[in-house]
Amino acid sequence: MLLNREESRDRWRIRPDGKDKVTGALSYLTDRSFPGMLHGRVLRSGYPHATILSIDISKAKELSGVHAVLTHEDVPGLNAFGIADPNQPVFCDKLVRYEGDALAAVAAETPTIAEEALGLIEVEYEVLPVIDTPEKALGPDSVPLHPEGNILHETDYRRGDVAEGFKGCVVIVEETYETPRQMHTYLETEGGVFVPEEDGRLTVYAPTQHGYKDRMQLSRILAMPEETIRIISSPIGGSFGGKDELNVQPYGALLSLSSKQPVKIHYSRWESVIAGLKRHPMKVTMKTGADESGKILAHQVTILSDTGAYATLGGAVLNFATEHAIGPYAMAHVEVKGKAVYTNNGVSGEFRGFGGNQVIFALEGQMERLGQKLQIDPWELRKRNLRKRDDLGPLGQRMVPTDGPTQVWEGIQASPIWKEKDQTGENMEPWIKHGVGVAMTMHGSGLGYGIPDPAGGKMRLNEQGKIEVAFGHEEFGQGLVGTLEMLLQDHFQCDKGDMEIIIGDTDRVPSSGSSTASRTTNMVWQALNNMKEPFLKALFKKASLLTGIDAVKFQTGPGGIWLRGESGDFPERPVITYQELAQQGLEDLEFSTEFHYPVTPDPIMGAHYLYTSTAVVAKVEVNLLTGMVKILGLDHSVAAGPVINPMGYLGQIEGGGIMALGFTTMEDAVMVNGHYATKNMDSYLIPTIFDVPETQYVDAIEQLPEGDPFGPRGVGEVGTVAVAPAIVSAIYDATGKWVTKLPVSPEELQSSVEELPMMWKGW
Amino acid sequence: MLEKNNLTVLEEGIDVPLSFRLNGKEINLQVPPSRRLIDILREDLQLTGTKIGCEIGRCGACMVLINGEAFNSCLTMAFQCHEKEVITIEGIEEDKLDFIQQAFLEEGGFQCGYCTPGMIISLKAVMLEKENPSISQLKEGLAGNLCRCTGYGGIHRVLNRLVSDR
Repeated sequence: MLLNREESRDRWRIRPDGKDKVTGALSYLTDRSFPGMLHGRVLRSGYPHATILSIDISKAKELSGVHAVLTHEDVPGLNAFGIADPNQPVFCDKLVRYEGDALAAVAAETPTIAEEALGLIEVEYEVLPVIDTPEKALGPDSVPLHPEGNILHETDYRRGDVAEGFKGCVVIVEETYETPRQMHTYLETEGGVFVPEEDGRLTVYAPTQHGYKDRMQLSRILAMPEETIRIISSPIGGSFGGKDELNVQPYGALLSLSSKQPVKIHYSRWESVIAGLKRHPMKVTMKTGADESGKILAHQVTILSDTGAYATLGGAVLNFATEHAIGPYAMAHVEVKGKAVYTNNGVSGEFRGFGGNQVIFALEGQMERLGQKLQIDPWELRKRNLRKRDDLGPLGQRMVPTDGPTQVWEGIQASPIWKEKDQTGENMEPWIKHGVGVAMTMHGSGLGYGIPDPAGGKMRLNEQGKIEVAFGHEEFGQGLVGTLEMLLQDHFQCDKGDMEIIIGDTDRVPSSGSSTASRTTNMVWQALNNMKEPFLKALFKKASLLTGIDAVKFQTGPGGIWLRGESGDFPERPVITYQELAQQGLEDLEFSTEFHYPVTPDPIMGAHYLYTSTAVVAKVEVNLLTGMVKILGLDHSVAAGPVINPMGYLGQIEGGGIMALGFTTMEDAVMVNGHYATKNMDSYLIPTIFDVPETQYVDAIEQLPEGDPFGPRGVGEVGTVAVAPAIVSAIYDATGKWVTKLPVSPEELQSSVEELPMMWKGW
Repeated sequence: MLEKNNLTVLEEGIDVPLSFRLNGKEINLQVPPSRRLIDILREDLQLTGTKIGCEIGRCGACMVLINGEAFNSCLTMAFQCHEKEVITIEGIEEDKLDFIQQAFLEEGGFQCGYCTPGMIISLKAVMLEKENPSISQLKEGLAGNLCRCTGYGGIHRVLNRLVSDR
C-alpha cells in the first residue's frame, strides 16, 4: 500500500501521547525536578590521550554550595560500563583515552556553583601522542590503548575461494568507500534526575533504550542489588541508538547517593557532542567481479572501523557490517574481513542501521560500477544476482524465507521518480544538472545469533477494570504506545479508555529485552498473540461464573464483555463490565509470556534470521558552479510484513530517509587530532525543512510468504540503510562523477575553471 | 543600578525587576541580570513545555512569542522581557487546541515531540503576522526549527493543512 492518510483510512490514528506533546504538557525526564534537588556536572579530560599524574579535589569540596565531589576513589563497585564489554571507566584513574573521558563529578546547589567547582579541581596530566586514525592504531609503533591491544574485534567470513572466483570474471571493480562520524543529534540531550528514596532504594529518571540493562549496569557500578534500583526511562526526546549505552546515569546515581539528595544532570549540547556516541566511521574496500552476463562470481571486502576509545557495541556493529557487506545477493566466492579498532577519537557505538549504512553504500556502489562496465542496466544486474526466497542468508545461515528483495526491486518502479530515470533534464541553466539513482538492500532485525535477545510481556485485568499490558520497552518517539493501543483494539475491540499501557519503569514492567534492532513491533505483536487466548479464556470463565451465561457466547468490546451478536439486534450494554469483573477479584486474570527473538539455528555469530528489504530512488539537482546537491525526491519501497500503524511506519521511513540524507550530504562530527571541531549545531549541520523533498512516497509491501508465522517486522532502521547509495548514484547520473567519500564534498562536484566556459557557450 | 556615561552598570549580586505578562498573567519577579528567559521559564516557573536543545539559537526548541514575534528564549535575557507580553506553548491553547496543534496531531507532525512546541510557536508567529500565509511563508517561519525524527514529512503535511483549512 502507498502509505498516506487517505489509503490508511481509519488506521491513521492520533497518537495517544500526542496531545501532551503538542501542548507542552508532557514531562520529559529532563524536565523534572524534585525538592532539594542538586545539579550535577562532570569534569571531562579535554585531552584525547594522557596519563593522569594527580587529581586534587580539595578546593572544589570547600566551595560553598557544593555537596559532593567524586572521583574513581568513590565508586563502590565496578568502575566501568559498557553493554557488551564494560571497558569504559566511570572515572579515569590512570589513563585518559579520549577528550570526553570523565575525571570527576560535582553536585552543587546551582548549576553555576557546580561549574565553578569543576574549575577548582586540579588535575595534572602527562600528555601522550594522539592516535587519531585506525591506521595509526594498527601501526607497528602505536601504544596499546587497552590491555588487549588496539583491536576491539575482528571478523573473517569466507566461502568458496575468491582468488579462484576472480579468475573467471570478465570485469572486476575495486573501490574504497569512506563514511562519516554521524551524530545522532536527538533534540533532547542526555540527562535525568536521580532520587535516593527513604527506604534506601534509588530511583533513576533517565532515558535509555533498555531499562533493565541500565539497572544491571548501575547495580554493578553502585554495588547495590538490582532490585534496589528503579529505572524510569520513558518518554524520551529522541535516541536513534545513542541513548542505548549509559551516559549520565553513573554520575547522577553516584552523586545522589553520596549527597543523599536528588541530583539532576542535563548535558549541554557541547557535552553531548564530546561524550556521546557516534556512528562508526568506516573505510570499506570492495573488489567485486562478474562474468559477461553480470553474474557476480567473487566479492572481496575489507572493513576498517574506527570504534574510538571504548567498546560499547563496536564489536556487534562490525559483525552487522560484515553480514550486510554481502547483502541480498547470491555470490559463490566471498571473503569479508573486518577490524574494529580503538583510537583516541570519540566513542563510536550503536546508531540506527548499526553498521549497515556504511557497507551498503559500498556494496551498492559496486553494483552500479559493475553494470556500467558491462553495459548492463545496473538495476537489471542486481536482479540477476538477487537471492531467492529460500536461499541461505548472507553468512550462509538459515533464515526465514523472504521475497523481500524481489518485491522491493519491482515495487520501487512504481515511484514517480523512477519514471524520470532515463529522462534528460528539462530546460535548465547548463550548470544545473538533474539525476536519478536507485539502490536496494536487505536488513536484519533482532540482535542476531549468539546474543541473548529475550522478550516478554504481561497482561492482566487491573484494579480499575482496565486491560493492562506492561512491557519493558521504551517510547522515544517511534510510536510504540500508539502501535500497542492499535494492537489492543484489534484484539479486544475495546475503547481506548478500557486499556492501560505501561512501559519504561522497571518496577512495573517485565523484562522485554531492548528497544533496539528494529525488534520492538515484532516482539509486542508476538507477546500479545501469546497472551490473548489464555487471558480471554480466563476472563470469559469468570464472566460466565458471575452471569451464568455460557462462555462461548462472549466477546470483548467497549466497556466490557458482550454477547456475540446473533440476530442483529445489538445489545445496549455489555453483559458485564470490566469494572464489575475487577470488583469480583483479580486472581487468575494475570498472564505473562517470555520468549526469545527468532534466531537462526546455525551457530554463526551475529547472523540474522528475520530480514526486511528496501529499495530507494533519489532525484538530485547538482549546481556545478557551487557543487551543492539538492535532493528533489526520495521514494521508498519497503517489504516488512503487515503494517500495524501506518502513521508510525511512514514516519519511520520518512525520518530515517532524511537522517540518511544528512549522512550522505552534510553530516560529519569532524575530529582534528582527537578533538571535536564541530561543537554544536552551528557547525554540525543536520537537514532543515529546506533541505528535504516535500513528499517521500513510501510503498509498504505487506505480503509475506505463505505460512510465515512472524508477522509485522520493525521498520525503525530500514529507512536509513539504502539512501546514501541511491543519492550518490543520482549524483553520478547528473554529473558523471562517482562520490566515494561521505558526506559528499561540494568541492568535488564543482566544475573546473576549464569546463565552465564550455557551459556558458552551451547556454 | 548606577548610571555612568550613558551605560547602565549593574552591580554584581543585585537583581533587576522583571514585570511581564506571561500566558495572560501578570508576573513580577526580581531576577539576576545574567539569567536567560529560558532559565526563568523552565526553572523558576516550571514551564517546561519550552525545551532546550542547543543554547545557541540553532535548534528552535526554545521558541516563545514575545509581543507576538517568535524568539529563541535561550538567546533572550530575562530582563529584556520587562513590560512585554510573553506566550509559551502552555499559553497557545485557550479553550481547545489551536488548529496548528490539531494539524500536528492529525498529520503525524512529530515523533519524540521535543521540537514540537518550538515548531508550533514559530508557525503561530507567522499566522499572527500574516492573515493567509502561503506554504513558503510558513516554511520560512520554520527556518530556525530543527526536527530529527520526522524528516519534515509530517511537518510538510501540517503546512499543507494550515493553508488548505483556512
